[in-house]
Amino acid sequence: MGSQSQFCHVRGNRFLDAQHLTKTYRVGGETVYALRDVTWSALQGDFVVINGPSGSGKTTFLNLISVIDRPSSGEVFIEGEPTSAKSEGQLAHLRKTKIGLVFQSFNLIPVLSTEENVEYPLLLQKRPRPERAARVEAMLREVGLTDFARRRPNELSGGQRQRVAIARALVTGPMIVLADEPTANLDSKTGETVMDLMRRLNEEHCVTFIVVTHDPAVSRYARRRVRIHDGQLEEGEPDGVATPAS
Amino acid sequence: MGWRLPLRSLWRNRRRTALSLAVIALGTAVSIFVLGFLENSRLQIQDSTVQQYGNLQVASPLLWDDTAEDYEYLISPSDADHVTALLAADATYRGSTRQLQFSGLLGANAQTQAIAVTAIEPANGVLDFAGLAVDGRGLIPSDTASAFVGRSLAKRLSLAVGDVVTMTLATVDGAYNASPFRIVGIYRYSNEQFESQVVFVPLAFGQRLLNTSGVDRLVVALDAVASTEPARSRLVAGLANYGFPLEARTWDELSPFYKQLASYFDALFGFLTLAISVLVFFIILQVLTLAFLERTREIGTLRALGATQGGVFRQFFAESAWLAGLGSLIGAVAGSLLVVAFNSAGILWTPPGTIDPFVLASRVGPSAALPVAVSVVATLLSALYPSTRASRLRVVDALRVD
Ligand SMILES: Nc1ncnc2c1ncn2[C@@H]1O[C@H](COP(=O)(O)OP(=O)(O)OP(=O)(O)O)[C@@H](O)[C@H]1O
Ligand SMILES: [Mg+2]
Repeated sequence: MGSQSQFCHVRGNRFLDAQHLTKTYRVGGETVYALRDVTWSALQGDFVVINGPSGSGKTTFLNLISVIDRPSSGEVFIEGEPTSAKSEGQLAHLRKTKIGLVFQSFNLIPVLSTEENVEYPLLLQKRPRPERAARVEAMLREVGLTDFARRRPNELSGGQRQRVAIARALVTGPMIVLADEPTANLDSKTGETVMDLMRRLNEEHCVTFIVVTHDPAVSRYARRRVRIHDGQLEEGEPDGVATPAS
Repeated sequence: MGWRLPLRSLWRNRRRTALSLAVIALGTAVSIFVLGFLENSRLQIQDSTVQQYGNLQVASPLLWDDTAEDYEYLISPSDADHVTALLAADATYRGSTRQLQFSGLLGANAQTQAIAVTAIEPANGVLDFAGLAVDGRGLIPSDTASAFVGRSLAKRLSLAVGDVVTMTLATVDGAYNASPFRIVGIYRYSNEQFESQVVFVPLAFGQRLLNTSGVDRLVVALDAVASTEPARSRLVAGLANYGFPLEARTWDELSPFYKQLASYFDALFGFLTLAISVLVFFIILQVLTLAFLERTREIGTLRALGATQGGVFRQFFAESAWLAGLGSLIGAVAGSLLVVAFNSAGILWTPPGTIDPFVLASRVGPSAALPVAVSVVATLLSALYPSTRASRLRVVDALRVD
């Protein structure tokens, strides 16, 4: 992991490519289009904020590009590789190695401590113990939770929980982190802290962030803005790039 | 995730885990106790059967086939000596005695009664029934025209020790024979029918009555019940070598009752174990299905982070394996304690058709591994379906659940 933005020399590489993504659901005999023919790509180092009204297809889109769901038609390319033909196991491997996820309600494993939650993806990768310990420690320092390493999720505040989740998403050094409404369960002050953290990590580690949000305050952090409306995606201009808090 | 996640998950809902453990442990404990009880009863019956028949009996196949006419199955003294010599060479051999059985009529006090005479070597140390005497004594070597009769028979014919009665019978040549003899003792036996029919007389007297020098069987005592089968094989080989047309039967072949009982016990235990494991299976299935359902979103999260279906299956199955292992371990301990408590209570029971009560007891032996294994298997089987279902959840659907 680099530590300064100038090391992000790969910025601009196409990491993720969505081609003609359509997702339909059958509800009571009728076909509902959650996403219609969306073609879009993310560049490495991007900080993308996705807006859109409720039910417009934001989560659907995020699920498809994080390969936890499969499109009805179209194709998602990760590092140029098509994913639709991949097995469940291969998709799990992709998620494990290339993609970090942050959820609206944190989704920490309640029986594991802060450090164990952060360690979990490294265990999935079968990393040796010393490496795990070192990475977890570094990551916790980065999100400012070193003193909370032994706490269980229910002993943490919402903001702390989301920071644990961010640490968990980043600990494997993924190319991209996808976050669906990461601040929706936080007050605005805490939400800002979390967004600052994400922006800083984006700058320092050259990790692509794609953040879905309703929150205009969050949209300020966008380097690139995307709007989804009625299952269709349109690029928008960023409001202006907010700088991470120092 | 190794052992950490499964164990912690069990710890999370302690009440439910305790309930599951209790169900598995109870099933295991009851099963261990019943198995031990049946095993103990079988061993007691085995002991008394071996006492009654000896470990082995050697006789002509004709004796047991019931096809013999007259007394063609009798074994000559020299043949019997050869067999004894053969037996004596066996390391597990402890002794043998010869018997001659025939039927006759006993007349006393103007009544006649059909009896089964068993002519034995008095005080032979292998099988002489002297220990059963309740009045007078068993047969001793100096006895001649003497008899040791059962309590039921004595009661029916109003016989007492010292009485002289008459026995009528046909000799081996078919001639009519009758002889008076004196009752020297009265025995009691656990079996009513045996008591009212079997009359023991000294072998020499029996042979004189029957007009033969032969015997119909040799009763063999060995050092242990377990020695029976191997000793029989060696004996059969030896008999074949000598060219004797004799057969050796083991105590359990000689007692149809024991065989029936043993298979009845097996069936009983089999049924009980099946019932218990089906019960454990369905209860644990229910508990795990509920427990896993509650964690749907957690499963979605694990999979979203890159855990494979196999990984999720293994985690949930490992949880059940802990349950199975701990539950059956607790059950094994509880079952053993139950056995100890039951045995120390010393409950007496007189089975129908028997005379002496015996102490009801259970036991814990290596066979207790069977109930433990059955509980483990039942629990793991019940975990199979919920674990598979957990692992097959669609990630997006699982994540959407609150
Ligand atoms: N499993 C499903 N079955 C049927 N319809 C679905 C399913 N999942 C999503 N939809 C529909 O697809 C559309 C897009 O849903 P999606 O969750 O992507 O919206 P969203 O933009 O994330 O909304 P929100 O801002 O409220 O989270 C909605 O109309 C929704 O009802
Ligand atoms: Mg949504």
